[in-house]
Amino acid sequence: MHRFGLRNVVSRHGRYTRAYSHGAASNAFITQHTAELDGISTQAVRGPLEGRKIAVKDNICTAGYDTTCASSTLAGFRSPLDSTVVRLLREAGALIQGKTNMDEFGMGSHSINSAHGPVVNQGGDGKLYSAGGSSGGSAMAVTTDQSWAALGTDTGGSIRLPAAFTGTFGFKPSYGLISRNGVVAYANSLDTVGILANSTHKIQQTFSAISKFDHKDPTSVTPSTRKNILKVTPNLRMLGRPLRIGIPGEYNIEELDQDVRHAWVELLETLQDHNISISAVSIPSTKYALSTYYVLAPAEASSNLARYDGIRYGTRPEGSDMNAGTLFSRTRDISFGEEVKRRILLGTYTLSSEAMDNYFMQSQRVRRLVQRDFNRVFQTRNVLEEGSVGTEDGVDLLLCPTAPCSAPELAAVEAQTPVEGYTTDVFTVPASLAGLPAISIPLKQRDSKSSIGMQLIGQYGTDSLVLEASGLLEQLGLTNAPKYEGSKLQVEGKLWDPNLAMSYKNMSKYYGGGMKAVQWSGTKSGTKASA
Amino acid sequence: MSWRPTGSLFKPVRPITLSTKWNLHVQRCRRQSSLRTFQDDPQEAPDNVPIRQQLKDQLKQKKAAKKKNSKYDDHDAMGKAWELTVGIEIHAELDTARKLFSSAPTNSGSKPNTNVSLHDLAYPGAQPIFQIGTVLPALRAALALDCTIQRESTFDRKHYFYQDQPAGYQITQFYQPFAKNGTLTLGEADGISRQDGDSVDIGIERVQLEQDTAKSLVVSGDSTLLDFNRVSHPLIEIISRPDIHSPATAAAYVRKVQALLKSVGAVTAGMETGGLRADVNVSVRKRSDLAPEDTRLGQRTEIKNLSSLKAVEDAVKAERDRQIAILESGGTIEGETRGWTVGGTETYSLRKKEGEVDYRYMPDPDLPPLIISQQLIQQLQATIPLPADTLVAKLVDGYGVTEKDARTLCNMGDGERLEYFFDAVARTEDLLGSTDMTARVGRLIANFTVHEIPALMTKIDLEPQWSPELIPALQLASLVHLLHTKRIHNSAARVLLAKIFETEDGASLSVSELAEKENLLRSLQTDEDSPGTDSTDLIDDVVGPVSAQVFEVNQKMVNDILVKKEVKKVYFFVGLVMKELGKQGKAKTYDPRDVSDAVQRAFWDKYGP
Repeated sequence: MHRFGLRNVVSRHGRYTRAYSHGAASNAFITQHTAELDGISTQAVRGPLEGRKIAVKDNICTAGYDTTCASSTLAGFRSPLDSTVVRLLREAGALIQGKTNMDEFGMGSHSINSAHGPVVNQGGDGKLYSAGGSSGGSAMAVTTDQSWAALGTDTGGSIRLPAAFTGTFGFKPSYGLISRNGVVAYANSLDTVGILANSTHKIQQTFSAISKFDHKDPTSVTPSTRKNILKVTPNLRMLGRPLRIGIPGEYNIEELDQDVRHAWVELLETLQDHNISISAVSIPSTKYALSTYYVLAPAEASSNLARYDGIRYGTRPEGSDMNAGTLFSRTRDISFGEEVKRRILLGTYTLSSEAMDNYFMQSQRVRRLVQRDFNRVFQTRNVLEEGSVGTEDGVDLLLCPTAPCSAPELAAVEAQTPVEGYTTDVFTVPASLAGLPAISIPLKQRDSKSSIGMQLIGQYGTDSLVLEASGLLEQLGLTNAPKYEGSKLQVEGKLWDPNLAMSYKNMSKYYGGGMKAVQWSGTKSGTKASA
Repeated sequence: MSWRPTGSLFKPVRPITLSTKWNLHVQRCRRQSSLRTFQDDPQEAPDNVPIRQQLKDQLKQKKAAKKKNSKYDDHDAMGKAWELTVGIEIHAELDTARKLFSSAPTNSGSKPNTNVSLHDLAYPGAQPIFQIGTVLPALRAALALDCTIQRESTFDRKHYFYQDQPAGYQITQFYQPFAKNGTLTLGEADGISRQDGDSVDIGIERVQLEQDTAKSLVVSGDSTLLDFNRVSHPLIEIISRPDIHSPATAAAYVRKVQALLKSVGAVTAGMETGGLRADVNVSVRKRSDLAPEDTRLGQRTEIKNLSSLKAVEDAVKAERDRQIAILESGGTIEGETRGWTVGGTETYSLRKKEGEVDYRYMPDPDLPPLIISQQLIQQLQATIPLPADTLVAKLVDGYGVTEKDARTLCNMGDGERLEYFFDAVARTEDLLGSTDMTARVGRLIANFTVHEIPALMTKIDLEPQWSPELIPALQLASLVHLLHTKRIHNSAARVLLAKIFETEDGASLSVSELAEKENLLRSLQTDEDSPGTDSTDLIDDVVGPVSAQVFEVNQKMVNDILVKKEVKKVYFFVGLVMKELGKQGKAKTYDPRDVSDAVQRAFWDKYGP
């Protein structure tokens, strides 16, 4: 009932009708803080971000303004406190420009599951494309130059994917570096606050202002671990050797769009020309990562969203909230969107006593495998794991596409089944499961105004190296690569043939298993909404 | 399998580690908090069942257990045919200054919805911050229950929807509790069933830390008021093994756990004020069906939320009888959750098995594991108050207190009465300038503390709420000093005690001045008239031996009292003893009422249960 098509939005929300008719509005903002921008409500603060307009995703609490997570559940909800990250931004002099549109509670890959209507990414060709999700509003605020930078959250790719689809830089730091206090939880063990901007430098400036220990967040990385990170993380100048970049073979899947594959190869060739060493690596657990993610994230979501009962805050219908003996089912039925309900059901199922061992426990084990696989390919050791030493001839960074395709048209996205939609996240969830820093870098396409996102992934804590390398790629000017004429990429002395791709569906035998649960909940949608 | 679920992505990031340095810090906080409670809200101060009442109850229970009315009692034919098995889960509110996961104060007496943090209300974006201080009372409780403390424990979410559960889940310790494998030994004095013999060991499976819920107040049919002050108050849940086989022992277990938790300072309140609640799991099986080594139990049912010792005993009894009746008529027991109404006669069904909630336990992804250092455990073990049994022995052997009085001193309140006792003994010894008479002074003071002061309260129609302020320890010491130095009679002491209590200026007038004013001091003349009588001898010391002789000579009467329950016949002995005292020329030394009490004490000490 809650899936907003474009037409629905136009008819339901009169004020957006006007916006669309002008053809320019992206529906990026849910709330605009005009008073703050005019300097009425705040006094100028001197600092590194002085006067910078920064947009904030609507699941990050701001005192004095609504925080709705694009959900009817939280319509009109105001947090009494600023989130830590917003406080830090204000202390650095930034102006909080407004709250950006998103997929409800972060659940989605295209920012269309919003009670505020979908985010629209109008292409140079006049067509309407997906802005990516769930931080689509933040990405659009940046790409349309409304904001100097924007905060998003990334649980399984929610910053990197919109960055890739809108041609911006989207950075997901290592888990725990930026405080989540005051950030509305979707899946706590994966949720990461990050930054979108149209240059690496802006991201670096913003990151250094907000990457601080916070005693109010029990998962915040401690000052002593931060010191350790400084000790083990190399930087480009101090490496004393060419940067080593790995290509994970498992990411070259048959399902990858040709355009994306070619852009990837071209980029690698360019890097090789600039004396960067390229080697092939293997992350065997990649094939299980997506299903693992879609077990763990909904499980945590079903738990985190259990609090929305309309009693202490939020939406609640008139009268008794008991339906056929089930408490809160009316409130939760009318105020959650379809995708949120689907994931709550999925999580409720995978945590149930009959399914717990097969899904949740199994996924926790796979998550460890993913972490172990990443530790094996990096030269830098993982500072969080005692006894981790790093791999002697390991790589510094991984480079792979952010998504298997460039931004799809909104109409095509709306026609997708939920499971088809989930596969968009296939390249972004592994770094999320391992808590690694990753940035999506836009590669402008020569023949159109669209762009393709390429992802750099580093070892835990090597955020500064990831950002430095992103800056390097930006400098190399990757917008004007020659027309693709087959791979000339040399890997370990041999020509690397990008056409030797594996089928993702075949390689992942658990693919069917994990997704069966997804479909199960899809077919029974609504039957146990308040289970 | 060595795999254990964990919520946090990176276990070693920031475990909550408890080392000894926290102990001092936390003790400081605790002191401040108890001070605050005392000043803010005197009504909050320890709640007590009147002592005599409790003793009477215990006596009554034991007597009742002996005649008993139930169809299926432990010792009749039916009881022999069936074996009852009970396991108990006790939830106790810990005595802490702060909540389990927020720094909000725990003072539940405050105005509704004032002691709440955003996390307590499950506001979006709020995170749990474990309050390290809450572990100390929990550890003391677990150590008192003889548990093994786990170096590492974790927090999990238990999901269910209810208006008193703001987050939709309770944070508890399902997968890895902080303490396991304890034992509690119950003896005859604890009121266990006769079938359990002299003593019985009840195994403690685990003790876990968890959050309390909000208080609901139904105001009308479809309207409920909620007070979130209690949300996230730290609780421990103590889960026993199914080692209990009689209703009396079930109640005795809960009573002893409650006393133990109070004596080590783990909790402030007992069942009377809802600070402690019990759920009981009850099953029966036919003895004749059992192979000797068969450990399989019958289908069990759970009775939730029992809030008094009587409710525990009655509910277990009623549920046992219900199950036996069903099985005897060829039916089967359904696994279900049942309820009990105070004063009821039957348990009633709350939820059938198919209606049971699947709690979907999930490791909390925000909370790191709790690590407790061995050093801290050792330090706590060394400073933990003595267990009650050891204390009783110390009072009996070192202070000449009767065993019954010693138990009462140990079991009541927060150990407050015991502190008062030691304080008064020390002050009396100061007045005497000697510690040679500890045994006599101790016995006298115990008598005043346990019997005379509460009796005085009852007499003047005051709710006999014990408080050390009723009769300040120094004044009791002065009184006992007068008694001990033979300046007042026993009966005069009782009058004087009432005067101390009634006199507004009790504090400004010293006790001896007050005695003089009230003309209670003994005339030295009288004393010289009857040399050899030592009227200030402890009455029990004089009456005791005389009574013993009298009991010996009249065994038939003793039997009447014990077997036929003709309790009033004790007065027959009082007459005999008075006569005997007269022969010794001591009759006039004592108030007959004192003699009567002393004879009864002597009788029940000797023959009582």
